[in-house]
Amino acid sequence: MAKIGLIFNGVWSHYALATAPKYRDLYRLLYIHDLDAEAVRGLDALAIPFQSNQAVLTEKQAVIYDFLAAGKKVFLEGDSSTAWLDAQWEDRPVNNYWWVADPTNPPVATTNFGHPVYQGLTPRQACWHTHGVYTRVPAAAEIIQANAAGEVITWQTHQHGGTLLATTLDPLVEHGVQQITHLDHYVDRLTEWLSGVCPAPARLTIDAAAYGAGARL
Amino acid sequence: MLHALLISNGLQGLEKYYVSNAQVQYTTCLVTKDFSPDLLPYDLLVVPNGSDHVALLKIKDNVRAFLAAGRALVCCDGFFTAWVPGNQWVMDNARRSQDVRYSCGTDRHGLLAGLNLDELNFSHGMSGWWACGYIQAAPGAEVLLHDTWQRPIVVLDEVSTPGRLLLTASGPLADVSYAGQPDRAPVALYRNFIHLLSTSTVPAHG
Repeated sequence: MAKIGLIFNGVWSHYALATAPKYRDLYRLLYIHDLDAEAVRGLDALAIPFQSNQAVLTEKQAVIYDFLAAGKKVFLEGDSSTAWLDAQWEDRPVNNYWWVADPTNPPVATTNFGHPVYQGLTPRQACWHTHGVYTRVPAAAEIIQANAAGEVITWQTHQHGGTLLATTLDPLVEHGVQQITHLDHYVDRLTEWLSGVCPAPARLTIDAAAYGAGARL
Repeated sequence: MLHALLISNGLQGLEKYYVSNAQVQYTTCLVTKDFSPDLLPYDLLVVPNGSDHVALLKIKDNVRAFLAAGRALVCCDGFFTAWVPGNQWVMDNARRSQDVRYSCGTDRHGLLAGLNLDELNFSHGMSGWWACGYIQAAPGAEVLLHDTWQRPIVVLDEVSTPGRLLLTASGPLADVSYAGQPDRAPVALYRNFIHLLSTSTVPAHG
């Protein structure tokens, strides 16, 4: 039974991840335009992927904050809007070729490998590329990852009751895209932290029957 | 001038990639809970990378009617739901991205003219960056680009409907030029399709 609600605005990478045999029993697609309190009832965690519709998230923010107030976990990746989040995200050019051009200078310089999501990961598994930075985070937030300039990549707060973990990494989208092939490590750690269930230690596969007329919506 | 309806999923930056110009006037349509745009005032429907294919499935009959009226569709995204007449995109990760190389198929209208294939094959020396998965193309549709394993990656379909469909296996296209910079392959392909639509006096054959 799914324990993680993946807020879904119809983007294919979200769909590819949530319907992959490895994850489909753990993630439930929650179509953003139908998101309400009933949709998240019984879930342990919410995941808000990169390429989400920030305007609709702003309209639906009470669902997210009520979920946190119930002591649950929310994971947010990629960009965000100050219209619903007390933090300032800023865009930056995406460098997804640093490991070819300058492998000694990754987009993340420091990582708290004591955080449950990052425990056991190598630096390479903990950073592939980033989509922008946070230039302001809540005062009581813990900084989990930062770049060489000290700008925040990953942070966490308990100020809303549960745990909100936010990052400008994009593990859920990129794992769905499958152009980076080492993301099982990060997403499996994240999935276990969110749901308490560790996915089978195998590479993500695709179920072609879930595409086209057989789409699982 | 063509009038295009650009479907927007509210993602950051979309407006930078489709800018009205002498050939195309873009009107942006945001996806909402009650998404049901009137397509018929437009010549072209543009479904860019990062689109909502749940919403598009809801209007599949409208899309079919639009194409039945001889209009055109560009979909450069992974269309995982069955809303595109005759064709279906399928995700696949069974092949290594480092082995991906595109090759040209038939191209009756010259849509690949001036296109540097290496710009789709490589980004900073890395291959497999542009498209994902492949298209199950309609019988008789023109496959402009195949991947290494001869799977359709770019398809021009003039047979499934009386209209024209330009489809990519999620590879992004754009209608934008940066001053002083030559058009890159995703722009060149898109612009060649716009040129076809703008100059064609013969409708696509149904």
